Amino acid sequence: MKTRLPFLFLILAVAGLVAPQASAQSSSGGGGVVEREVHFYSEGVLCYGKLFLPQGFSDSSKVAAVVLAPGARQTAASLEKYADDIAAHGMLAMTFDYRGWGKSGGFLYSGETVRWDDRLRFSQTTTKMRIRRKRLEPQLQALDIRNAMTYVQGEAGVDRARIGVWGSDLSGGEAIVVAATDARVKAIVAQFPTLDPSDSLRDTQRKAFAPTVEQQATMIKLARSGAAPTTSRAADAMSAEESKLALAEYHPFWYLEQIPATTAVRFVVAEKNADAGVAAAAAAKLVKGAVDLVRIPVATQALDDHARDIAIHAAAEWFAKSL
Amino acid sequence: MRIKNQSRGIGLLGFLLAAPMLAHAQISAEIVEQHRADFEKQATDPDMKREAGTQPRDWNYDLPLGVRTRLVTFYVDGGTALNGKLFLPKGFRPSDKWPGVVVGHGINAIAIGIEKYAARFAERGLVALAIDYQSYGFSTSGSDDIRLLEPDPTHDDTAVTEKELRVQMKRTNLNNVHEVEDFRAAISFLQGEPGVDPNRIGIWGSSNAGTVVTAVSALDARVKATVVQVMTPRPFARRPAGIAANNLEDAIQRVRTGQGNEIDGGFSFKSKVDQWYLTRNQDVAAGSWLDQIPTTNHFLFLPAEKDELMRSTAGAFDAAKFLNERGVTAQVIVYPGLTHFQAYSYTGFEVGSTLAADWFVKYLGARQASAEKQ
Repeated sequence: MKTRLPFLFLILAVAGLVAPQASAQSSSGGGGVVEREVHFYSEGVLCYGKLFLPQGFSDSSKVAAVVLAPGARQTAASLEKYADDIAAHGMLAMTFDYRGWGKSGGFLYSGETVRWDDRLRFSQTTTKMRIRRKRLEPQLQALDIRNAMTYVQGEAGVDRARIGVWGSDLSGGEAIVVAATDARVKAIVAQFPTLDPSDSLRDTQRKAFAPTVEQQATMIKLARSGAAPTTSRAADAMSAEESKLALAEYHPFWYLEQIPATTAVRFVVAEKNADAGVAAAAAAKLVKGAVDLVRIPVATQALDDHARDIAIHAAAEWFAKSL
Repeated sequence: MRIKNQSRGIGLLGFLLAAPMLAHAQISAEIVEQHRADFEKQATDPDMKREAGTQPRDWNYDLPLGVRTRLVTFYVDGGTALNGKLFLPKGFRPSDKWPGVVVGHGINAIAIGIEKYAARFAERGLVALAIDYQSYGFSTSGSDDIRLLEPDPTHDDTAVTEKELRVQMKRTNLNNVHEVEDFRAAISFLQGEPGVDPNRIGIWGSSNAGTVVTAVSALDARVKATVVQVMTPRPFARRPAGIAANNLEDAIQRVRTGQGNEIDGGFSFKSKVDQWYLTRNQDVAAGSWLDQIPTTNHFLFLPAEKDELMRSTAGAFDAAKFLNERGVTAQVIVYPGLTHFQAYSYTGFEVGSTLAADWFVKYLGARQASAEKQ
């Protein structure tokens, strides 16, 4: 194709226009931790992130880095205390918002027919777009976590070989899946992890998803009339259906055996939730490498200040020890 | 050349004779023997060489008498519109129950090149749907391939916003994770097509799509028959995917600027693709997922003996053995003498499409007439 050069130029120009920019830096609570807001692309979507830099961090540092993934329907803001404590332990921490949540951009769909030609890889147009937000699908979020890992690996001063992932509830399961499928992860903390669709470990053997008749009806509906919706009400309803299906196929428990022995795994569970404790203990047995289980004296994942302090310490301590 | 099920009589006899010796051979490969001379001609005739891809003359087909087609739109991943071409058999009536097959193209190609398989399957009484994956052919680019060129105006207070915006659309994003989703959406579409039996769906994939259909079969128990042409998904143990140093540099550029390096992609249809695919496609590790394939599925591998991309047919035999040992019906039939891209033309196509149709007809069954119309 002969027209490639001008288009490349155009792309570069546009990339410059909306390129991620580091915004204001500020120091936070204590320990000399410096916060910096950043942006990164997860696939096509510009996402928000916040770095927590340890005291004395510079381009020539060689510190470990931890990506903290928000739980279901949560944003980066909910994890700042965890990130701050990890940075106070001498590591770089990054919180971020998933695609379609918080300060990150949403999922893009063209609302009208756009002409294209596969011989021209990139084309620009002004057109009616539909942007969807608040989709809750673990496989999309796991990719966001991996793209955030790539972002911190590109930060001068980070040791690319020492990357950790922290997650809670839904993202606690995602931390397990990412550790099993992406060799870059060396340590994880899975707090109150979602391990299985039923939370009762009914299906511990890997197998193809066999949707019920009702689930198949939803799949058919989405495939045949699942254009991006135009009203918030319809979008909420569609997200709920998509999420239900995605969660029915979501089995982090299956991935435990796939985590390599070189990756350290800590489970954090609510002491007073007996079922979760049993499930996490069963999960810990499947991990080949360093593994432990921390019990927090609460009944649910809603943490009071005391319990949160324990959870925060459990995270920072594990990464400091393992990375 | 036209082959029309003439092997059936001999084939059945051959099958009955061979059955006690070959417990897992499920359809007759007699047709391969019958056409050995044709295979040899195709393997040696300079005009039939296909060294770097198929050619436009390989894509043509005559629509079989009575087969009707319809262009359809279906959706994936929250609203990305995909293109399909539906092939309806002669005498198709929505009041009956017909088996259905999704047909998917290989690496960086488009559905036009493999519609002729769908046409052939429809001729054999199967409802067939040939699809373009997202960002290819007549399908739109998915949300991963559209980038806003102005700030995103949306917030969490609304779940969707419709607005005129400046965007950049990317094409030919070679991404097997998406191709798996696209195949599954096509299966859902076909299940909902009036006249298609939702419990009798098969999938056909060639080359890279052979990896994709194997993965789909491991993820989705709705699939009852799978045909993998010129792909040999050797079994291997699950492990986390690594990333080469140069691919990591590229991935870093990608998350920091929105676009990584481009490299040459494709054979029959060449275009640039993102270097990222080398990393991303490891996430569809079909050979390590074979143990998830349910015994309700039935697998036919059709490798080419001289496949220059696969190097060996051994992976197909290993996969079939692995499946057989787990109670999944699986069979391998080799195209003698052919290279990778010769599978799509001349004897390769005639025999290959016949064997695939034989497999689908055997394991999905035929049309079931509705009781009240009989």
